[in-house]
Amino acid sequence: MAFGRLRKKRGETSIPTDSLSDIAFLLIIFFILTTSIRRTTGFTADLPSAQKTPPQTQQTEKTPTIALKDDTLRLDGNVVSLADLRTKLLAMNLAAKPENDRIIILETAGKVPYQQYYEVMALVTGTGGIVGLVAEDDAKAGAK
Amino acid sequence: MKMPRRRRREINMATTSMADIAFLLIIFFILTSNFAKENGIKFTPPKAPEIQTLKESRVSVLVDEKGDIYLQGKKVADAKAIEWGVAALLASAQTPEAKQVMFKCDNHADRSVFEPVIESISKAGGILVAIGDKAKATDATPR
Repeated sequence: MAFGRLRKKRGETSIPTDSLSDIAFLLIIFFILTTSIRRTTGFTADLPSAQKTPPQTQQTEKTPTIALKDDTLRLDGNVVSLADLRTKLLAMNLAAKPENDRIIILETAGKVPYQQYYEVMALVTGTGGIVGLVAEDDAKAGAK
Repeated sequence: MKMPRRRRREINMATTSMADIAFLLIIFFILTSNFAKENGIKFTPPKAPEIQTLKESRVSVLVDEKGDIYLQGKKVADAKAIEWGVAALLASAQTPEAKQVMFKCDNHADRSVFEPVIESISKAGGILVAIGDKAKATDATPR
């Protein structure tokens, strides 16, 4: 006699995927709304580093020097305004010169806020110059 | 007399792959986004007329309005830590683009704070990308 087993019919298990696309699109909308698109603005300054160039103890006479000290801007010892500095740097036609002749020394002393420093650096870089920073050292000043 | 009516065809839009497309879009957005490292750190960027739009760099150094220094959004003790940190982050960098270091600094920060940081970035072999906002020529600080 065949023993007929009573089998329970298993209910099919399936994950409901109808709302999957809705969830995905909601996530996209969330990402789009919460993302703030920022543009990075500024300037690139390849500063001659101690690794690349040996420190100079004495600068050459030819190298133009910008001194920034306590709100006063000087180019080779003469007090200038930022507009004057722009005119003089443009007249030097730095972009057309070889790399060694494009270096402009930037000396700082006293209290100098970053805003002033930034304007001068941007101006030198924008006119094709390479900024060489001079550290104020107690013992000796060396170009970095 | 009864006129024979044309049976209209049912138009179905294929929506089976909709979820796949949506998830692909999400993955695309996640992979192409640059997450801000310095959220919540207060600083006012300087302004200058001679600035351009640049690509975001991998390494970021920030000096906030209090004069605290951050590397990749994490506070560090001093400029020396920046030198070591940047050198470590740039160890595998080969191209000039990979050596770029974004430098953000509050416009009121004094040179005693920001100069050693700039010096450290330079010593570590980084190319300085000074971040600031575009200013009109007339906005420049008169001197």
